[in-house]
Amino acid sequence: MARVLDQPRYKCALGAMNTVQSIEGAIPILHSGPGCAGKLSGFAGSSGKFSPNLFPCTSVSEREVVFGGMDKLRDTIDNALKVMDAGLFVVLTGCTSELIGDDVGEVVSEFRDAPKPVVYSSTPGFKGNNYEGHGWVLKSIFEQYLPAKSAAPEKRKGLVNVFAGPPQTDPYWHGNLRELETLISALGLTPNTIFGYGRGISALDRVPEAEFNVLVSPWVGLDALTFISKRYDTPLLHYPVLPVGAFESTKFLKAVGEFAGVSDAKVKAVTDEYEREYYYFIERYADMFLEMRIISKRFAVIGDAQYALALTKFLVNDLGMFPTPAYITDRTPEQYQPLIREEFKKLNYGIEADVDFLTDGYEIHERVKKEDFGGFPLIIGGSWDKALSNELHGNYVNLINPIIEKLIINSSIAGYSGGLKMLEEIYTAGLSRLIL
Amino acid sequence: MGKLRQIAIYGKGGIGKSTTTQNLTAGLATELGKEILVVGCDPKADSTRLLLGGLHQKTVLDTVRDNRQGITLENLVKTGFSGIRCVESGGPEPGVGCAGRGIITSIDMLENLGAYTDDLDYVFYDVLGDVVCGGFAMPIREGKAKEIYIVASGEMMALYAANNISRGVAKYASRGDVRLGGIICNSRNVDHELDLLRAFAKALGTRLIYFVPRNNVVQHAEIHRQTVIQYRPESGQAEEYRRLAREIDDNDMFVVPTPISQDELENLLLDYGMMELDDDYRI
Repeated sequence: MARVLDQPRYKCALGAMNTVQSIEGAIPILHSGPGCAGKLSGFAGSSGKFSPNLFPCTSVSEREVVFGGMDKLRDTIDNALKVMDAGLFVVLTGCTSELIGDDVGEVVSEFRDAPKPVVYSSTPGFKGNNYEGHGWVLKSIFEQYLPAKSAAPEKRKGLVNVFAGPPQTDPYWHGNLRELETLISALGLTPNTIFGYGRGISALDRVPEAEFNVLVSPWVGLDALTFISKRYDTPLLHYPVLPVGAFESTKFLKAVGEFAGVSDAKVKAVTDEYEREYYYFIERYADMFLEMRIISKRFAVIGDAQYALALTKFLVNDLGMFPTPAYITDRTPEQYQPLIREEFKKLNYGIEADVDFLTDGYEIHERVKKEDFGGFPLIIGGSWDKALSNELHGNYVNLINPIIEKLIINSSIAGYSGGLKMLEEIYTAGLSRLIL
Repeated sequence: MGKLRQIAIYGKGGIGKSTTTQNLTAGLATELGKEILVVGCDPKADSTRLLLGGLHQKTVLDTVRDNRQGITLENLVKTGFSGIRCVESGGPEPGVGCAGRGIITSIDMLENLGAYTDDLDYVFYDVLGDVVCGGFAMPIREGKAKEIYIVASGEMMALYAANNISRGVAKYASRGDVRLGGIICNSRNVDHELDLLRAFAKALGTRLIYFVPRNNVVQHAEIHRQTVIQYRPESGQAEEYRRLAREIDDNDMFVVPTPISQDELENLLLDYGMMELDDDYRI
């Protein structure tokens, strides 16, 4: 029987156009119907070179469906090269062009001598969602744009490629990446990220020069990072937990330090200083954390694997709260689910959290409503969860895609400072109940 | 003029659907004075060549390709032998686009343009090969052809395709009033072909409505871009097609087919499909 998916928390794979838009100077060319483009383009920001609403699209119609859309794609790429001042063109396919079997690779290969590089990625919505699409697009860019190993530039000492959550789908993508860069720099390494302000295509060009790669994500982008690790023979540190707060940030720095061969003393000096600062702030507000009774000790988190895991770790390990089952909404492929479940068991004080991989918002809400929170619960999720929180008289914190009632520009929830930011968010939710 | 009968002809590729359809419609027109529209549903657009004395020059989908506005039926419907009106869907070049969607688009356009006029007795859809996807089932969807005839021969793959097509028909029959009208055998001179086809038709719950013998005059007529009825009206083969036309016109046995399993099909072939081999057996 067909089921209704209530409150979806992902888009189709073509939504990974955001990945291209977050590389400064790159632009997506959509080989899709005009409706796909209209629905997927948003105002959530991009890398800055182009408006997120500005991109070429073949706008395929009945004519292209019946007779094939390859001619129109060829024209669109040709004209895009003439009028768009981009450094990299990435053709993305929608459902229609994939169903009729347009040979996009063939058309794109005709532009191999074009003045600017043109690559393509297969991103029909029927194949997967925008979390998967992000990985496919990333892999396609690596595979087609970056040079073969034989032509790759020399390795640069201490250079590390850093990738985390999918840009824009992850509302804190920009700030988090910058914070991860700061942490890694503190170890004396040089981080290389391709997304956001001032990175872009020149950063992409440096990817083969890195000594190793770090992927901070439970599963999104793993295939793509595995691909470049193999191609350039550079080790990959797959670190599934986005570090939020002191406990996880110190653990993260130790892991990176060990992987990169940074001395223990150096790592300790870095983490000690960060922790001193972090706990200086915690102590100043400790009374509030200890005395405030508005927020119950149990919490619910509803979101993609990255946020559900990162926030559960922070709330248990740093804040001493107790989890109810975490709801993971990104349709995590089955092969990655055991690793994620395992991570939810590695919490301090012998605490373990259950995980439900569920995409149906209604079902999730029904289950959350059955929990006994012993007070006003902390509900962390996206905008779909506001009504749930209201119903439960909860303390609602919106941090996770999709977010419609909050502007996030470049703030971060990653690292030590991200932990403090989380405290601000959580206790603001609690304090906002008070009336003078 | 009676009630409009819409008929779709299916069958394995190369079995003779177009040849049979054109000769059959020529029979219906000349012998019974019927008003007929033939809709070719094949991207090759060669389903009406014998009726028109050459290939149709303007297909329905050409107008979509050229983004033409203000299309009228007169642009698309050509009148051929014995007043039979002919239209071709057309479609993409081999290897590109979606021919199935093309048929849907084309039949929608014909309906919107009012091709099915009140004076018609018959509309025939001559559909490419197997029912490979939803597009090729368009003629048997709700409100279109209600009678299906499958052209087959005693060759195994033709029967296999016919069985497969009847699965598609059964599916649509379960939620509408499309029915199988029978099997037309376009003989390939296979062993025990008549008995085999009768048994096969019976297994599907239908009947062998006509057995068209093999005759080289059909090829001669095709070379002359004519139906046999036009090319050699006095020939025995022309009479066969006229009889087929009468059988179709008189047919009142319409069934929901009961497709058989692969094993059952193979058993039928074992039972009927092989003569005792003599030492000097040659094909």
